Amino acid sequence: MAAPALRAAPGWSGLSLGALRAVWRLPGLSQVRWSRYGPEFRDPLTDKEHYRRPEAELTEEEKHEQELKKTQPIKAAPSTKTSSVFADPVISKFTNMMMRRGNKVLARSLMNQTLEAVKRKQFEKYHAASAEERAAIERNPYVIFHRALKNCEPVIGLVPILRGGHFYQVPAPIADRRRRFLAMKWMITECREKKHRRTLMPEKLSHELLEAFNNQGPVIKRKHDMHKMAEANRALAHYRWW
Amino acid sequence: MLKGITRLVSKAYKLDSGRFLNTGTQASQSTAVYLNNQIQVESPRAISRTSESDPAKHGEQHEGQYYSIPLQDLKTVFPHGLPPRYVMQVKTFGEACFMVRKPALELLHYLKNTNFAHPAVRYLLYGEKGTGKTLSLCHVTHFCAKHDWLILHIPDAHLWIKNCRELLQSTFNKQRFDQPLEASTWLKNFKTTNERFLSQIKVQEKYVWNKRESTEKGSPLRDIVEQGITRVRNATDAVGIVMKELKRQSSSGMFHLLVAVDGINALWGRTTLKREDKSPIAPEELALVHNLRKMVRNDWNGGAIVLTLSQTGSLFKPRKAYMPHELLEKLLQKKGRRSCCF
Repeated sequence: MAAPALRAAPGWSGLSLGALRAVWRLPGLSQVRWSRYGPEFRDPLTDKEHYRRPEAELTEEEKHEQELKKTQPIKAAPSTKTSSVFADPVISKFTNMMMRRGNKVLARSLMNQTLEAVKRKQFEKYHAASAEERAAIERNPYVIFHRALKNCEPVIGLVPILRGGHFYQVPAPIADRRRRFLAMKWMITECREKKHRRTLMPEKLSHELLEAFNNQGPVIKRKHDMHKMAEANRALAHYRWW
Repeated sequence: MLKGITRLVSKAYKLDSGRFLNTGTQASQSTAVYLNNQIQVESPRAISRTSESDPAKHGEQHEGQYYSIPLQDLKTVFPHGLPPRYVMQVKTFGEACFMVRKPALELLHYLKNTNFAHPAVRYLLYGEKGTGKTLSLCHVTHFCAKHDWLILHIPDAHLWIKNCRELLQSTFNKQRFDQPLEASTWLKNFKTTNERFLSQIKVQEKYVWNKRESTEKGSPLRDIVEQGITRVRNATDAVGIVMKELKRQSSSGMFHLLVAVDGINALWGRTTLKREDKSPIAPEELALVHNLRKMVRNDWNGGAIVLTLSQTGSLFKPRKAYMPHELLEKLLQKKGRRSCCF
C-alpha cells in the first residue's frame, strides 16, 4: 500500500515515492520489499454491492470517482482478496500468521482442518447431550473462532519506556489491531511450542480454541498474567506521556 | 433432480483441496425429515431417507434414498470395510446411512438369483471418483451378511502393495514375501465378521507351522485364524490357508461365500516396495497378493465375487483414469486379448 509506506518513513515526507524511486535507480542496487507500483495506482475495490447500485443512486462525488477510474491505473488485486460470502478477514489474518516460509496452501488446509475438528467435537457433544443442554451448545465453528479470539484479547498492555537508563514496563492502553494481533499470536505460539511434538496442529488448535471459547486454558491465563502485571506496575503509569 | 441439486450445493460449499465446510445453522437439523418411500421434499437441504433398513427389500422405489444401519451391526459386519472418512462421519453424527444406488440394486438382484451350482460370477464396479463404488460394495456386503453368507472382505487392496514396514521372506515359498502386520490385522477383522462359521468349517489337511506347532486335519478353521493372530510370523500363511480351505469347501453347500475386494487394480499394478538391494518387487511376489489372485479366479462355485476398481489409492496411475482398460492395463496387455480372463 502506498499510504502506510509514506507514513512509515516520516523523514521523506517532502519527497514523493516516485522521486525516491528516481533517486534509488542506481546500477547494482535493487529494491526488495517495496511496492513496485507508482503513486498514481489506485487500490482495487472488490465490493460487489458497491458496483451493483443503479446509476440514479450515485451521488455527484461517486460519479466523479467513477469517471476518474476510467483513466487511472488500478493495482492488481492479490489472490487472497475475494468478494466471496465465505471470505472472513479474521480467518485470513490468522491463516497468514500461521503460514511459514510462504506455504499458504498448507496454512489454509490446516485452518480448514481446525475448523472441521472444532465442528466435529461440538457435534459429538451435541449428540451426547440431553435436550436441555443442546440449546446451549454452539456448533458453528466461525462463531467459536471469533468468540475465542475475542476472549483472548488483553484489555491493557505493557509498553517499555526508557527512563534514567532503565526500561520500565508501563501499563498503557493498546489499539484494537494490536490487541487482535496479540490474541492470535499467543494462540499460535501456545499451540506451536507448548504441545507434544507428535500432536498435529489442527488437533491442538481446535482444543485451544474450544478452551478459550469457555474462558479457560493457557491463552486466557496468559491474558490474565498480562493484566496482573499491568495492575502490579500501576505506580509507573505516570511515566506515560500520551 | 436430486443429483442436480446436490451438485449445486456441493459447488456452492466447496473450498480448496476438496474439503467441504458447511456453515449450517440449527434450522437444517430440524428440516431433515424421516420419509416413507414416495414423497420428495422441495427443500434441497432435507435428505430423503427411507425407513426400510433391510437391503433385501430395497427396490427401484428406494433409489436415491438413504437407509440407516444400526451401529451394533456396523461393528460386526464392517470392522474394516468402510472408508476412513466415512467412519469419522459415523462417529460424529452417531448414525451410518448408505444411499441406495441403481448399480447396487442391480447387483442385489443378481445375487438374489445366483445359481450356486455354477462357477462364481465376478462383478466389477467401476466409475469416476466419488460415485459410490466402495459404499455400493458395502451395501451388497450388508445384504449378504444379513443372509448369512461368509464374507471375505478386503477393504483396500492398495494397502497391501504400499507402505509396508516389515517384509519378511516367506516361510512357505522362498521366492515370495510375507507381510505380517497387514495379514494379522486382516485376520482379526475377519474373525470379528465371521465368528459363527469359524467353528463349523473344518480344515481338510494337516498344516505344520514349525517343529513344535501344527494344526491337525479336522480341526476348526478358528485354530488357523488364532495361530495367525498370535504368531504374527505365520499370519500370511494363515491367510493363504484360510482362502484355500474356503475355496475348497464352498461347493459343499454348508455356506455361501462372498469375496468382496475394493481396489482390485492393485493386484495387477506396480508396488512401491523394494528389496534390500533396492530392486522393485512385482505384486505376484507378495504372498498375500498371490493368494488373493487365486481367490478371485472363478474356478470355484457356491458364492459370488464382487470387485471394485479404485484410482484413489492406486500407484502410478493418472488421476482421471477410471475405466477398466485404463486401470487394469497390465492385466489386459498380459493376456493379449480384449476380454480379460484370469
